[in-house]
Amino acid sequence: MRYLALLLLAAASAAVAAPSPEDADFFEKSVRPIFAAKCQMCHGAQLQTAGLDLSSAEGFVRGGASGPIVNLEKPAESALLKVVSYDEKLKMPPMAKLSDEEIAALSEWVDRGAPWPGAEKVAAIEKKAEKVRFTAEQQQYWAFQPVADPEPPAVENAAWVQSPIDRFVLAKLEEKGLEPAAPASKAALLRRVSFDLTGLPPTREEIEAFLADDSPQAFAKVVDRLLASPRYGERWGRHWLDVVRYADSTGNDEDHRYPYAWRYRDYVIEAFNDDMPFDQFVREQIAGDLLPAADGAKINQRGIVATGLLALGPKAVAQQDKQKMLYDVYDEQVDVVSKAFLGLTMSCARCHDHKFDPILTRDYYSMIGFFANTRSFRDPSTHVSKLLFIPLVEAEKWADYEGQQEEIRRAKFELESVPEIEVEQYVAPYAAQVAEYMLAAREVYEDGSTAEAAAGAHGLDQALLERWVKYLRPTAEVRAHLAAWDKASKDERAAVAAQFAESFQTELEGWTKKLESWRKQVNRPAEEITMGIPAKPRFEPGQNRFFFEAYVAGSGPLVFNDKEELAGILQPETQQRIAALEAKVKDLEARAMPEPARACGVEDKPADEQIEQHVFIRGDYSSKGESAPKVFPAILEGLDQTPVRTGGSGREALANWIASERNPLTARVIVNRIWQGHFDAGIVRTPDNFGRMGEAPTHPELLDWLTKRFVEDGWSIKKLHKRILLSSAYQMSSAISDASAEGDPENRLLSRFNRRRLDVEELRDGLLAADGSIDFTMGGTMQEGFGTDGENSNDRLSINPDEQIRRTVYLPLRRANLPALLNLYDFGDAATPQGKRPETNVAPQALFLMNSQFVAERARGLAGQLLKQDDEDARVRTAYLRTLNRAPDAEEIDRGLTYVAAVNKQFGDIDQLDAWESFCRILMASNEFIYVD
Amino acid sequence: MDPKHNYNSLLRRNWSKPMSRRALLRDGAMGFGSLGLLGLLADEAKANPNAGGKANPLEPREPHFAPRAKQVIFLFMHGGPSSIDTFDYKPYLREHNGSPLPIKRPLAFADDDPGPLMQNQWEFRPGGKSGILVSDLFPHVREQVDNLCLVKSMVGEGVDHGAALLQTFTGSSTFTRPSMGSWVVYGLGSENRDLPGYITIKPALAHGGSKNWSSAFLPGAFQGTAIGHSGMKVQDIQGEPIEYLVNQGLSNEEQRYELDMLQAINRRHAAMRQHDPDLEARIEAFELAFRMQVQAPEAFEVEREPESVKELYGLDNPTTADFAWQCILARRLAQRGVRYIQCTHSYKWDQHSDLVNKHTENAAEVDKPIAGLLADLKANGMLEDTLVIWAGEFGRTPVSQGGDGRDHNPYGYTLWMAGGGVKPAFSYGATDEIGYHAVENRMHIHDFHATVLALLGFDHEKLTYHFTGRDFRLTDVAGNVHDQIFA
Repeated sequence: MRYLALLLLAAASAAVAAPSPEDADFFEKSVRPIFAAKCQMCHGAQLQTAGLDLSSAEGFVRGGASGPIVNLEKPAESALLKVVSYDEKLKMPPMAKLSDEEIAALSEWVDRGAPWPGAEKVAAIEKKAEKVRFTAEQQQYWAFQPVADPEPPAVENAAWVQSPIDRFVLAKLEEKGLEPAAPASKAALLRRVSFDLTGLPPTREEIEAFLADDSPQAFAKVVDRLLASPRYGERWGRHWLDVVRYADSTGNDEDHRYPYAWRYRDYVIEAFNDDMPFDQFVREQIAGDLLPAADGAKINQRGIVATGLLALGPKAVAQQDKQKMLYDVYDEQVDVVSKAFLGLTMSCARCHDHKFDPILTRDYYSMIGFFANTRSFRDPSTHVSKLLFIPLVEAEKWADYEGQQEEIRRAKFELESVPEIEVEQYVAPYAAQVAEYMLAAREVYEDGSTAEAAAGAHGLDQALLERWVKYLRPTAEVRAHLAAWDKASKDERAAVAAQFAESFQTELEGWTKKLESWRKQVNRPAEEITMGIPAKPRFEPGQNRFFFEAYVAGSGPLVFNDKEELAGILQPETQQRIAALEAKVKDLEARAMPEPARACGVEDKPADEQIEQHVFIRGDYSSKGESAPKVFPAILEGLDQTPVRTGGSGREALANWIASERNPLTARVIVNRIWQGHFDAGIVRTPDNFGRMGEAPTHPELLDWLTKRFVEDGWSIKKLHKRILLSSAYQMSSAISDASAEGDPENRLLSRFNRRRLDVEELRDGLLAADGSIDFTMGGTMQEGFGTDGENSNDRLSINPDEQIRRTVYLPLRRANLPALLNLYDFGDAATPQGKRPETNVAPQALFLMNSQFVAERARGLAGQLLKQDDEDARVRTAYLRTLNRAPDAEEIDRGLTYVAAVNKQFGDIDQLDAWESFCRILMASNEFIYVD
Repeated sequence: MDPKHNYNSLLRRNWSKPMSRRALLRDGAMGFGSLGLLGLLADEAKANPNAGGKANPLEPREPHFAPRAKQVIFLFMHGGPSSIDTFDYKPYLREHNGSPLPIKRPLAFADDDPGPLMQNQWEFRPGGKSGILVSDLFPHVREQVDNLCLVKSMVGEGVDHGAALLQTFTGSSTFTRPSMGSWVVYGLGSENRDLPGYITIKPALAHGGSKNWSSAFLPGAFQGTAIGHSGMKVQDIQGEPIEYLVNQGLSNEEQRYELDMLQAINRRHAAMRQHDPDLEARIEAFELAFRMQVQAPEAFEVEREPESVKELYGLDNPTTADFAWQCILARRLAQRGVRYIQCTHSYKWDQHSDLVNKHTENAAEVDKPIAGLLADLKANGMLEDTLVIWAGEFGRTPVSQGGDGRDHNPYGYTLWMAGGGVKPAFSYGATDEIGYHAVENRMHIHDFHATVLALLGFDHEKLTYHFTGRDFRLTDVAGNVHDQIFA
């Protein structure tokens, strides 16, 4: 509680003792009115400029960004009295000095010890808050307890038990007198597990093989096959990408691209496919750049890419309060790390201790310390902060690449400036004749003379005069800067032209100097340009619009930049030099090595930039509180920890703490996520929040039992999948019996399997699989370029998923403009960690299936394939197998054929293909397609 | 009997299997246009808006108390029009034109040093009976000034466009939060089942893009539906104003036929799966979708308006045609019960330079359409229930930038409202002498949001949504209702 300490230091005891009635009266009558009338508009309850609030005792006690406003030991030194004196640089109130009486009143108030009724209470409250004590309830909260290893309970219906999991489930059901649902049909089970593990429907061959396999291992074989498929990583990697709010752009401002985000996405998919131990997965994503490469290479490429988790959040790169921007980024990193790995909402403690969970503001800032010492930007200080792209090659190789680029830069600079300088020299004499040309031009466009005659009469260049005529001739466009000229009467013309010429001349001199100085700066080796290569100066049109249009802008009378014009102006030797330079650039570019791979990741700040993080009072970075060394949340690790001191950010310590089996949260949280992925509901139904505002586990013992086994298995996610899938619980039917509906309406006891709607990736990929057009190319990026695109250009749009046939996981995600299809089907905003997507059912979703070109193409594609079969019954059968992944019954075949025939009859102008397309679309749009039993 | 009808009834008869009570209720009560089940769902929704969920989250709902406004039309001037050149007259600037800024400049967007004070570049003249001053940039709006409630003391936190747009529309200048329109539709539902409840016409893709009309963590049904985007031409939008609304291949009749078969298959599927309201709800969603696609396009047929209306808004003039189209469309959508509508005048108002020419052009594009909208709403009696809001994401500085421009100023700027229960011919709040900081009756964007919600009948502290352990609201932990502007 820094401010209290400072206040006590400065204000001695006066401000924390209750003021005498006289002092209180003096304050109310003579001081508070001044604050109210003269200060509170900027330092009040609504706006606290410089963190100062003079509308309450609390605000006064807190002081401003630069500390307390009074100094009771040396009253004359009080910041308050200094600023109102108007003697110093900072003058308050800014608009007008206070009256002498008012200043005297403030001065007396400080002398009296700055009495402010109520201040003593605030101080007392703050003092109390200093002592942290967790309640017994907080300490005993289930999620903070070590993971237990409970014995699977005994059950009556032992025949139902295939796995210890079933004992935990069945025991609860039996307790309530409920029975588990019957096993699902084989066809339903296959469709379920195929979508579940790979996000895709089973193929016809897979269906037939499974139905024909009567062995007891039939289902286990299917599970092994699916887990080994590369499609598995694409499905479960996508689940993880939701949790870490993956996207390919910053979202805010101009939605700047993360050009290498896709490497992180591919890393995640690969990690799942390779069954990377989850503890390793955690370590790499938090501190991969600090870990040695697995293969002993100098650069840990995979580790750097993995830190994309931290680098790829939404960012407000054009925020001008850069300190706020940076702390918003650190906050976002704490948010994603704490939710994704720990199931804690630590960001809630940014401004005050967490309202529901025992997370202290100090815990939050301790966590911030790891990220505040980590770089996410190459340069945050620029107007638009520059993102960090980390080379995935050794420093020397990157230096070689940059050296080559530097050579190219120098050659290009020369190529640009040589003709520019010569043109400037060519134009110089004409630029001195602005007034003459203006007057002559007016004779042409207003007095009826011709360019030839006027040029001859005044000894001017005719071609140039024509350019002036073209520029000055009035048009419909409003040109306020030329109004004086346009309005000038015949008598006034010469005088006005002279004014224009004079202002032109002044501007020209300044501008030329500026250009020359820039050329000098830039025409040096990059390593000498310590502040970075300055951008070419831009002439601000508003500075002198006439000069800008005549001399700078593209089509001005004194601007020569097209090839033909230049050929007439430049000396032959210059033209030869240009040709040589062009050849040189071309040659350099041809020989240059391709840009080495880079990644969007993070790295430690250099040692001299490492800071000690402090608590920010109420989240305001300008109000520093006590220091918050890098330790872990006190509720888990206690109040007396030795701070992490590694010399760097300390992220590897953080990673190890999270990825430890001693951490009661990490393994539980991921086990719960995996369970949710299979059952559509977690054992804890709020997967990102294991705190008190989250839901309590429905089967706490099961969660712990699974977690124990998971850690024993070396944090293997694939083994966990298999353990879950081979249970009777997973293989239940989704039919809802009356008893189940009555006794277990929300299925918290797992009396049945949860029927679920396909998510948007499954829907889109499933449609592409139904007509077989899906492209299984893995990895890489589908977009080019970086930075931003032109305002409102179509390039800014995300790639339209309706025009692509690759799996949805590979479509780039631009946060400011997610594709309509994704928005429609509950994809989320890719900006906040999302462990579970909402599921809505709205009419526009139906419109996609009814009307989109994408679905029409899938239906038509499938229909075309059906028509290759002569047997009409077989067509219906194929259609069902490809869409609903089961064979139709006789009635369905009959109805299908009736429909196709009736459509033909009803709408005479459509052909067979149209009719079958319609039938296929019906199946694709059906409830049975989009729901998995 | 025509064969189609015959076939449909055949399908229905043969495929009807015993159904759940709820399904029977629906089939019995839900012919075209029947409201039996609708009423039932609405009652459920009223009891618990969070549970609106899968049934139909857009069913109309009552707010917390009697509303002054029932719908909103937000006219957004992207880029930030200069308040001191439009509605906030500052004689001090006249007297001190060219002198240095007398106060410390607050955080600015520009890197360079502030220029000198620059006076208003247009004359201000009194308008209407109230005589409220409006500059010559808005001569048509000036004629409507007796309908306006000017708030001259707006305060935001973002000095860059991204932050400022985000805060204007979501309350947060940093994080992803539901937009104001999403909160309104979440709270009130929508009156028209054939159209989305929240429509944004030609929104900007820059500066946060869809985050500015997203529902964030609120269910997706509450997100804004974009009609084109600001880079598109009107004629390119008209063909398919809402994504997937138009089927390029089938006639309505053919599609109805297809839909009947689909619904028959769905009913059979549902009949074999008891106790699952989601299946029923999805069958209903297809019926809604079909009605939407048949009926919604009509709302977008701005061309159908009589010539007098086109003339009133300036649809017949190339300068004003684009925004006139937006404003007429907004009125047509409002008429049809769309709850929250936004029109965006594309990113044109950002005059860091060339203020005089560009502001002149910009204002010319919107002045007549806006005045036309106000006059039209008033004449139709719609202004009473419709809250019209005109705003940029911030104002512009009283100091010049680069000689003839102005930088961003979120510290004190003007917006106005009209209709919907605000005081007409009223001017509220004030900036300091130079028009930089709001000083009197400061209305922070949070306050503005609280006030708009109050006009719609909501206590902003009670319109909440529980997400990851917290009750979120549009106004975060702030917001004061400024009821001084209520009529």
